[in-house]
Amino acid sequence: MSTYLSKRLIYMFVILFAASLLIFCLYALTPGDFISGNIKLSPERKAELRDIYGLNKPLLERYGIWMSNAFRGDFGFSLAQQKPVLQLFNEYIWNSFLLAVVSTFLTWVIAVIVGVISAYKQYSWFDTLVMVAIFAAMSIPSFFIGLFLIKILAVDLKWLPPGGMLTTGSNATGIAYLKEVIHHMTLPVIVMTLLGVGSLTRYFRSNMIDVIKQDYIRTARAKGLTERKVLFTHALRNALLPAITLVGFELPALFGGSLIIEKIFNWPGIGQLYMQSFGLRDYPLLMGFTMFIAILTVLGTLISDILYHVADPRVRLQ
Amino acid sequence: MITTPNKLVNVKRTKDSPVKSSLFKQSIRKLSKNKLAVSGFVVVIFMFVACFIGPLFSPYTDNKINMAMMNKAPHLKHWLGTDALGRDVLTRVLQAGRISLTVGLASMMLSVFIGSLLGALAGYYRGIVDQIIMRIADLLLTIPSLPLLFIFGALLSEWKIPTDYRMYIVMLMLSFVGWPGLARMVRGQMLSLREREFMQAAVVLGLRDRRKLFNHLLPNIVPLLIVIATLNIGGSILSESVLSFFGLGVMPPTPTWGNMIDAANNMIDFQERPWLWIPPGFSIFATVIAINIFGDGLRDVLDPKQKR
Amino acid sequence: MKRGIFLLTSLLIASSLLVSACSNNNSSSNSASNTKSTTVPATTTQETPASTVVGLTEPFTATDLSKLPAVAQKRTDTIIVGLTDPSGAFTPYFQQSGYDGNVSSLLYASLINVDDKGLPVPELAESWDISDDALTYTFHLKSDLKFSDGSPLTADDVAFTWTILHDKAYDGDSQVLTLNVVGGAAYKAGTATTITGIKVTDPKTISVTLEKPNATALVTLGSNVLSKAYYGKDYKFGQLDYIKKLHEKPVGNGPYTLEKFIPGQEVRFVANEYYYKGKPATEHFIYKTTEGDVWQFVETGEVDYASFSATQENIDKLKGLGYLNVIPYTPSSYGYLQANLEHEQLKDKAVRQAITYGLDRKSIYVDASQGAGSVANIPASPISWSYTEEGINPYNYDPEKAKELLDGAGWTVGAGGIREKDGKPLSIHFLGSKSKNTDIFIAVAKENFEALGIKFEPEVFADFNSLVSKVEGGDYDLVSFSTPMLTDPSDGLLQFLNGEIKGYDNPKFKELYDKGLATTDIEERKKIYTELYQLLNDELPVIFTSYKKTVYAYNGRIENVTVSPFIGLAGSLPNWSLK
Repeated sequence: MSTYLSKRLIYMFVILFAASLLIFCLYALTPGDFISGNIKLSPERKAELRDIYGLNKPLLERYGIWMSNAFRGDFGFSLAQQKPVLQLFNEYIWNSFLLAVVSTFLTWVIAVIVGVISAYKQYSWFDTLVMVAIFAAMSIPSFFIGLFLIKILAVDLKWLPPGGMLTTGSNATGIAYLKEVIHHMTLPVIVMTLLGVGSLTRYFRSNMIDVIKQDYIRTARAKGLTERKVLFTHALRNALLPAITLVGFELPALFGGSLIIEKIFNWPGIGQLYMQSFGLRDYPLLMGFTMFIAILTVLGTLISDILYHVADPRVRLQ
Repeated sequence: MITTPNKLVNVKRTKDSPVKSSLFKQSIRKLSKNKLAVSGFVVVIFMFVACFIGPLFSPYTDNKINMAMMNKAPHLKHWLGTDALGRDVLTRVLQAGRISLTVGLASMMLSVFIGSLLGALAGYYRGIVDQIIMRIADLLLTIPSLPLLFIFGALLSEWKIPTDYRMYIVMLMLSFVGWPGLARMVRGQMLSLREREFMQAAVVLGLRDRRKLFNHLLPNIVPLLIVIATLNIGGSILSESVLSFFGLGVMPPTPTWGNMIDAANNMIDFQERPWLWIPPGFSIFATVIAINIFGDGLRDVLDPKQKR
Repeated sequence: MKRGIFLLTSLLIASSLLVSACSNNNSSSNSASNTKSTTVPATTTQETPASTVVGLTEPFTATDLSKLPAVAQKRTDTIIVGLTDPSGAFTPYFQQSGYDGNVSSLLYASLINVDDKGLPVPELAESWDISDDALTYTFHLKSDLKFSDGSPLTADDVAFTWTILHDKAYDGDSQVLTLNVVGGAAYKAGTATTITGIKVTDPKTISVTLEKPNATALVTLGSNVLSKAYYGKDYKFGQLDYIKKLHEKPVGNGPYTLEKFIPGQEVRFVANEYYYKGKPATEHFIYKTTEGDVWQFVETGEVDYASFSATQENIDKLKGLGYLNVIPYTPSSYGYLQANLEHEQLKDKAVRQAITYGLDRKSIYVDASQGAGSVANIPASPISWSYTEEGINPYNYDPEKAKELLDGAGWTVGAGGIREKDGKPLSIHFLGSKSKNTDIFIAVAKENFEALGIKFEPEVFADFNSLVSKVEGGDYDLVSFSTPMLTDPSDGLLQFLNGEIKGYDNPKFKELYDKGLATTDIEERKKIYTELYQLLNDELPVIFTSYKKTVYAYNGRIENVTVSPFIGLAGSLPNWSLK
């Protein structure tokens, strides 16, 4: 196990190094740069600014500069926002994380419960209903569900705020602040859960169907265990095991932010910031964020590989 | 612990090769007994027929702009109303279906094919093959898709590829970089399957790699693939609208379901003109659900573990 | 499984967000709306034809304030306005986003401002003199001016502001640099420690000398003033990084001071007691970050003020809400199709004219956008003092005339109905940014051009940067653009001069352009610009397309609201009060 880990960690660094070079080149090759979008500038001024920002240097040199700074923990200043990149992350990522954590948790809980029940009652009306609902949620664009819920719950019924994270101008602190945030995050969390729950439910359902058909379940029933016990101790545990490996993949998603949801609900998250920065070609921010997500992705795959081994000891780590 | 697949192998082995065609026939027969699956299939076929033949009967196929008929609710001359430029929504929905269905199915199949092939290879051979494939997958997973799309766009534009074809090329390219997720899943399944008793039996019997892979392992992951593929069909139909959004998809005025539904992306159209978004929305929904029901039926028939 | 196997699927999420990147305009405007009928159709439908009056010509006053949502009723000393996305760089001259500009326009006052016609009016400067050779500008400051921290504002602060803009590390887009201040280049090069052209006569008087006359200099120079004591404390030549740390702690001299900035959510202001006109009427002001659709916030009373595209439908809906005042507004910008004059087919004036005649601009910009626009024929907005229709060809849609012009230019109909000249087919490669309006344009233009025998090849880009770099590469025939907000008429003409429109080189134009800037007498400039517009209207180095029309809707409780086309709401905001 420990040799496996150290081997994987070395691979991880090699991959991250290769990824950083690749990503840097990708951003540099994307048509247009930070300067070209500003139509107010004359060609001479543009050249001057490219010089100030070092955008006219050769690609590899720019990469070298970025890399050596990054190693010293300096991810630079965002060109558009005029702030240190790390400070910006700190300001936005946690907001995204909040939404993601809550909705991921809800998604899993609902998916497990609904998945198990509809597997148990395969082809019943409940199962069919769930299936239709899932496909409906999956074939509708997310902006659509968002608009619909805003229209109903915020504009017409005025139960929930239409967007944002705080009541505008509010100075609430402590419990009151918490309540306000919960109030505001309800709508986006509902939509994110709706969007994610479908495929996961299907996944659990099909896992569960497989497990229920296994001989050891028959054995358990034959032993005279109650149906509930058979279902929730024997069957569910085995159906959940493969899903554990999915946990690692959630890691980057937890911090990555959700572009559409954040936009529709005016949520001050990193997804929106990334999108904007991409439009502006704000290289330091783009590079910093993408590398951050890359690190999480690689870590996530490692975690899921290890968990896979834990879930199914027959699978050898190598 | 005796697992069902174990028995299946035995059954298969005794029947041996001539079984193939009869197994296929058997599957069809089983499938045709599943009324739900058949109805799903019928709906899919209906969508195809409607979209590819339907517009031929419409008087509005030229998509002519008609400013006098802007944004009309459904009525006798325009069964599903007209859009912001006075074009017939029904005709456009059907025309849109041609592209959306083709693109959705094609890109789904391509991704599943690449992903499952690489995943199966990695999981089956393990060792160095696995290392190479999975490390490439790791690398690809870290690549942000947005700049990639824009670079593709710029290249296609540079090379003067006609806008009509760009979407297909981009889909192809995306499948080439989008396989890691599925590959990992298939690989995981493979890793666990190859340790099962029935595979050990296959090893003991001295079966060749190809036979082990295609006759024994792949049939076991087909159900998973079908579930994944059918689940993702909706996403890949909608994804076309994303490509169009980035200027990589179809050019207006050519309609697709995705870009038609996107056109309702504001409160006013959403509230006041449901006939703009309900037809494309319902088409996607119906297609997705029909394909999934059919896929479920198919899965039941093909899954060696299921005995219904 | 949940993560989805398709890269595409995850990309879905990315839909519809790039648009924000290119709009650098005032607050959030709901531009994407194509809507209800303006003409009565022959067939009967359940849809009622729109009212006969199209658009909004007169301000509309709220009919029923009791309908105002409770949230908005409760606010007594706070006004909330939506703003797309301020980033926190609130120091004028140093910000990269127009939204930050909206914030700093409340934090900082200018020496000179512009009125509704774009003409200069005094603000921090009481008066100004311009020398007879139009090279030296002298500003006389008002007495007792103070920064928001209570420190006095003097001519030294003004001199400091102009000076650091000439620093070699300055990376903003201030136009002061284009004025060629005497000694500015030497300072920038590091060969001089001061700028010789800037002279502080006494604490209330400062003058600046330019190398050549420029009529825009007065307003450009007369912009915001930075405190030397605050922003100049750590200043060393070539080192401006320290200013970044001060962006979120601005010391200004405008009507409001910054209370709190919550990234991605709000910018909170509180009235500045040292404001030269006296403390604003409303104690608190908030810019709330609102991306995309603002309807939901207007309908729930979360914002007090928002701008909308002037479609009949938007106007009807706003009026219907009952608690909003609605005022019409035309931004001071114009839209155009930039033609690639280096390409054979568009080099010929006749072809450009033919395209203009043959393009049904009224359908695209007026009918399809339901009255939220009008057709443009000159590079100036209808609200500019220089706007004229005298001697201007309206190029009304006339396909026959277009065909005639094309025939005359030697483009004759060849095989497949496509025109040819010397064996080359006439094709137009069009570039546009992805938007609903572009979709409409392409749909109509395709029909129009095909009818003329022109092959039309549209290409759409999701982000502005990609579009611009494609244009820079020269691989296009027509590209759709809109100018930013223009203050001086010369702003809208600069692109024909500085090489942005490649291949346009007309000595007559250059002469008139310089003439227009050489004098500050408005009447005389009007005459020059009329001549210039007639010239451009005939030559069509670009094809003029449209002027946008918007409406502003605001909470009926707010009084004294006016919106200037040039400075937005900043001008009247200090007077806004809640009744």
